[in-house]
Amino acid sequence: MGDVKLAFVVQKPQYKSETSRLAITHAISYQTVEILLEDGDIVTPTLCFVGEGVLGLQKGQKAMDLYGITSTETHIKNCLLVDLDVLVCKEDLAKYGIPEDMMPDAEDMGADKKIKVAPFSEIQKAMEDAKHVLFF
Amino acid sequence: MATLTIGCFPGLVGNMTYDFALKLAEAAVNKGHKVNIWFSGNASGSVKAKQKHLKDYSTGEKHLRALIEKGVEICTCEACSIARGVDKTNAIEGIQWNAMHWYLAKIHASDRVLQIGGE
Amino acid sequence: MKLAVFVSDFKLACDTLERLNADKLGIIFVANGVYHATTKENGKSSSLLDKAPNLYALSEDIQTRGMKDEDVDKRVKVVNYSDVVDIIFNEYDKLAWI
Repeated sequence: MGDVKLAFVVQKPQYKSETSRLAITHAISYQTVEILLEDGDIVTPTLCFVGEGVLGLQKGQKAMDLYGITSTETHIKNCLLVDLDVLVCKEDLAKYGIPEDMMPDAEDMGADKKIKVAPFSEIQKAMEDAKHVLFF
Repeated sequence: MATLTIGCFPGLVGNMTYDFALKLAEAAVNKGHKVNIWFSGNASGSVKAKQKHLKDYSTGEKHLRALIEKGVEICTCEACSIARGVDKTNAIEGIQWNAMHWYLAKIHASDRVLQIGGE
Repeated sequence: MKLAVFVSDFKLACDTLERLNADKLGIIFVANGVYHATTKENGKSSSLLDKAPNLYALSEDIQTRGMKDEDVDKRVKVVNYSDVVDIIFNEYDKLAWI
C-alpha cells in the first residue's frame, strides 16, 4: 500500500482534554510504525491545528514546572525533531490575537523543521490529500 | 469485506460516546467487515476485567468479550492503561497491549477510519 | 473528497464544520447531535441542516431521548447502526467525528 497520508486535525485547546495532546503523540508515533508494516510501507501524518486548537501552542510553557507534565511546547518540538509537518491555521491565530512568532521552534534541539503557519485552505488541501482524516 | 478501524478515546463511564463506538463496531462485524479498535486516553481504563454492570452505568466488559469472540481486534495503549492502574494481570483476556504505532499500522491497512476523540 | 462527518453534540464547540469543503459532504447526527434533526431553537431549525444535502440521524439515539423518527426534519434520513456501516463504506471515503 506504500505511503498512506493522514491528516491529524486538532480543534480543541490543549490542557483540558487529553485528546489534544494525544493527537500530537499519536502523530509522532509514525516514527516507529515501520516495525509493524511491510517493507516499503510508511505512514505520513500532517499535524494541523485549527479553531481553538491553535490555543496552547505558544512558546514559554511551564507545564512541567507547575503540573509535572510534559508541555505541549515540548511535544511540538519533538514533532519538529522527527521531521513531522505541522500546520497552524493562520486565520485562527489572527482571530485569537496570537502573533505567529509565538510559535515554538526546536532549533535548540538541532531541528531544521519549522511550524508552518498556513491559511485554512492549505489545511483543507492536507485533508483532501490524506487517505484518512482524524479529528481530535 | 472491508476494514474499519475505530480510535476510541472517551471513557467508558461518564458519557455514551464509548457505547456508540462499540455498537458501530458490532454492526460492522455483523455485516462481515473486519474491525479494529484502538483505545487511548480514558477509554484505556475500560479494559479492566471484573467490571460490575450496574444499570445506571455503561458496561464495557461483556461487549468487549463478545467483539473479541467475533474476531474484532482490540488494543489498548499500554501507557494510558498503566497510568490508570490497569495492567495485563487485571485486564480482560484477548485485549492486545501495544503503543500508538499499533493504531497507525492498522490505519495503514484500513478502508475507513473513525477517530473519536475523548472528553 | 467524499466526507462523512459525525456530529455528536447539539452545541458545537468549534466552527470547523462550517469551513470544511468536500465534493460530497454528509452529516450523520448521533448522540446529542440528533437534536439538530429534531429540535428547533426559538422556532428555527439548525443551520447544519442547510450545510449538506446528505443528512442522516441515528434512530437508536433519537428513540433513546424519547423522540420518534417522525419528529425528524424531512431533510434528514433516519438510519440505524447497520445503515451507518453501509453509508460509511459505500458512500464516503473519509470520516470525521466532530
